Amino acid sequence: MSAVAAVREHRQFLGRTSFIEMGARERARAILDAGSFRELLGPFDRLKSPWLPLQGIVAQSDDGVVLARGTLDGRPALVAAIESIYQGGSMGEVSGAKIAGALELALRDCEQGKPVLPVLLLETGGVRLQEANLGLAVIAEIHAAIVALRRHVPVIGVISGMVGCFGGMSLAAALCSRLIVTRQARLGMNGPEVIEQEAGIAELDASDRALVWSLIGGEQRYAVGLVDELLEDDAVAIAASVRTAFAQGLPRQERSAQVDLYLERLAAIDPQRPLDGPGLRALWHGAARS
Amino acid sequence: MGMKQTAGEAAHAGRSWTTLRDAKARRLAALGAPAGNKVLEARAMVETLQKLLQPGDRVALEGNNQKQADFLSRALVQVDPQKIHDLHLLISTISRPEHLTLFERGIARKLDFSFAGPQSLRVAQLLEDGKLEIGSIYTYVELYARMFIDLTPHIALVCAEKADAQGNLYTGPNTEDTPTIVEATAFRHGIVIAQVNELVDELPRVDIPGSWVDFVVVADKPFAVEPLFTRDPRHITELQVLMGMMVIRGIYERHGVTSLNHGIGFDTAAIELLLPTYGESLGLKGKICRNWALNPHPTLIPAIESGWVESVHCFGSEVGMEDYIRARPDIFFVGADGSLRSNRVLCQLAGQYGVDLFIGSTLQMDADANSSTVTLGRLAGFGGAPNMGHDPKGRRHSSAPWLNMITADAPVVRGRKLVVQLAETFKKGGTPTIVESLDAIEVGKKSGMPIAPVMIYGDDVSHVVTEEGIAYLYKTDSGEERRAAVAAIAGATPIGLRADAARSAALRARGVIAYPEDLGVSPMAAKRSLLAARSIEDLAAWSGGLYRPPARFRSW
Repeated sequence: MSAVAAVREHRQFLGRTSFIEMGARERARAILDAGSFRELLGPFDRLKSPWLPLQGIVAQSDDGVVLARGTLDGRPALVAAIESIYQGGSMGEVSGAKIAGALELALRDCEQGKPVLPVLLLETGGVRLQEANLGLAVIAEIHAAIVALRRHVPVIGVISGMVGCFGGMSLAAALCSRLIVTRQARLGMNGPEVIEQEAGIAELDASDRALVWSLIGGEQRYAVGLVDELLEDDAVAIAASVRTAFAQGLPRQERSAQVDLYLERLAAIDPQRPLDGPGLRALWHGAARS
Repeated sequence: MGMKQTAGEAAHAGRSWTTLRDAKARRLAALGAPAGNKVLEARAMVETLQKLLQPGDRVALEGNNQKQADFLSRALVQVDPQKIHDLHLLISTISRPEHLTLFERGIARKLDFSFAGPQSLRVAQLLEDGKLEIGSIYTYVELYARMFIDLTPHIALVCAEKADAQGNLYTGPNTEDTPTIVEATAFRHGIVIAQVNELVDELPRVDIPGSWVDFVVVADKPFAVEPLFTRDPRHITELQVLMGMMVIRGIYERHGVTSLNHGIGFDTAAIELLLPTYGESLGLKGKICRNWALNPHPTLIPAIESGWVESVHCFGSEVGMEDYIRARPDIFFVGADGSLRSNRVLCQLAGQYGVDLFIGSTLQMDADANSSTVTLGRLAGFGGAPNMGHDPKGRRHSSAPWLNMITADAPVVRGRKLVVQLAETFKKGGTPTIVESLDAIEVGKKSGMPIAPVMIYGDDVSHVVTEEGIAYLYKTDSGEERRAAVAAIAGATPIGLRADAARSAALRARGVIAYPEDLGVSPMAAKRSLLAARSIEDLAAWSGGLYRPPARFRSW
């Protein structure tokens, strides 16, 4: 690269707006058309977790979920953004119900012929352990709402990092019509720390970042076809990609409905032989991206 | 004349002047290695050490800040304590567990060291159990200085990347302390053994001549080296951005600081990452921060790429920076082969006498601006910070910032190095950083140290920076005024709560303290978006892919 080109690239680089750096509210604002952001059930509605204070934890006034209505290329849209720095983005009774309720309202609008484009910004460790069953119940409601809604409009999920998307919410991600990730994103059922704790460090060393990302990182998930777009950490590029995903319309077949394909892929795996990231790429090659 | 000579000869006739040389020859003979063969068998290393060593020997084990002669330390710990015991270990950095197992097994007894970061708890424990006796705890250069005076090693166990059959060594970018240790040993009849990663016919360059080296041995695996100077920008807080902006405006710009050393930490990483953005917006490029005594911090990459940096001399290297350094020979000190040549002692010297400013973070500071990173229950030592963080009174050459520190109007005055301490008023968990009494005092007492292990003495500190403001301590005219200035920027700490508002206002009016608004810094503008890089990925991209972050820092 010539010196001039390098300098130009650096300028571009400095000019880029990091999506990962943003909080949930800023992220929702960055996705929607400029000036169209309108928050539902914001912090001043003081819809807090009733359970956290009982366990000595200060409850946040929005319970860590930002719901925003606005537009995408002028079309009505809904963004549900999870705030990862509050309780690890965990889903409690209130935060989960906010997302499920908003998706159900969008569904009602769709059924009445007024389509709303739903976007989920998933930065979550899954269920909030302090609210156990109530959290799990609302996650199930979110799943049901996504499945109902995606008959009308594509449901787009974005995982950007740095928390990633785990537990019951990884199922929500898998139900999305299209998933957009960065290299920094992680998507998996159990988080690496949980696996290490339950199965031992010999099974997975959670501090081995290279290993963790080679298994569940954005690049790997893209390479094996479990997500649809792999982007740089650039808010403008992510917002554009969300618009493109809606422009593509409903997928021919939702990924989670491709039961035969995935049964076949699972059958190809020999549980006796440990599988690493590159191994899975090789195994699923053909159907997956190289 | 003739008479005198005769008398002299007579007086000394009974004395041998070659006892050290003879002793070395006896040891080599005991080993029974064929003359001229410098290459030792790795398998026989334990046995070899057992033959070469004698009880009570002074052994310099490398034990550096970054790289470790770990093959040799793993061999040393296996010798028979019946045969080899009471060794006196000279080691700059105790970082590997076997360094202390030597004491548990009774192989070593006495210890002179500089830093024991990862092993500091165990040092304190062994001391309490009476298994270890401390000679002294030093800064790096002091320990090496004594190797040339009264603590000359009998044996040096060092490491290098490559050797040839003649014993010439190529240290690679992490030259660090090896030439110094080898010089102290080789030229006073000690035995030098170097572990190397590989034996080759031709070296990329010779860092240490073969005539200084007695033996080389190819280690079972490459020597261990830790990336100690990598800070992930992801963890830089907006408070650190604010303090960085204040430093750039209130110190670097104000005093025109062009040559400097940065301590390692997120605060200084923030400053490095603010140069290409905030510094650029102030038009300071070329006016500040040109010449550095610094390890190759990855967070300096954006400033280098944007043309801020003229030169960097390094104490050691940094894992992952090798190819980047090789591609920037205008900036770094590199050999004819293109790879970095670092040297801890010379860089320490440069950092003391060649640069105008040191800046570093502290974990604890008292009302007089004495500061310490010592915490209770640990004996961590000093490393190099006190050498950088003091005003060298032997300096005689002047520079604009050095002269800028003069406040007295007298026929005989001297300038002063800028020694800047950064301290957020509270640490994580709500413990105050600025305190009545340093933990170091208690630790010193418990460990039987003659004086408290203070890292930076308050009277060397010219500036203190907290998120509240800057105290220009060099402007104070009494101890009492110093304490008032520190208190004025100490926030809600016990020291800060003692500040008298009227007194602080008077100090502010005289420019002894400054708040962010006095410096034209808006706390509202202190956003992470001002950082030229906000992640390791960003740093790698800035370097055009030349910086290869170690796996533990990669989130992709």
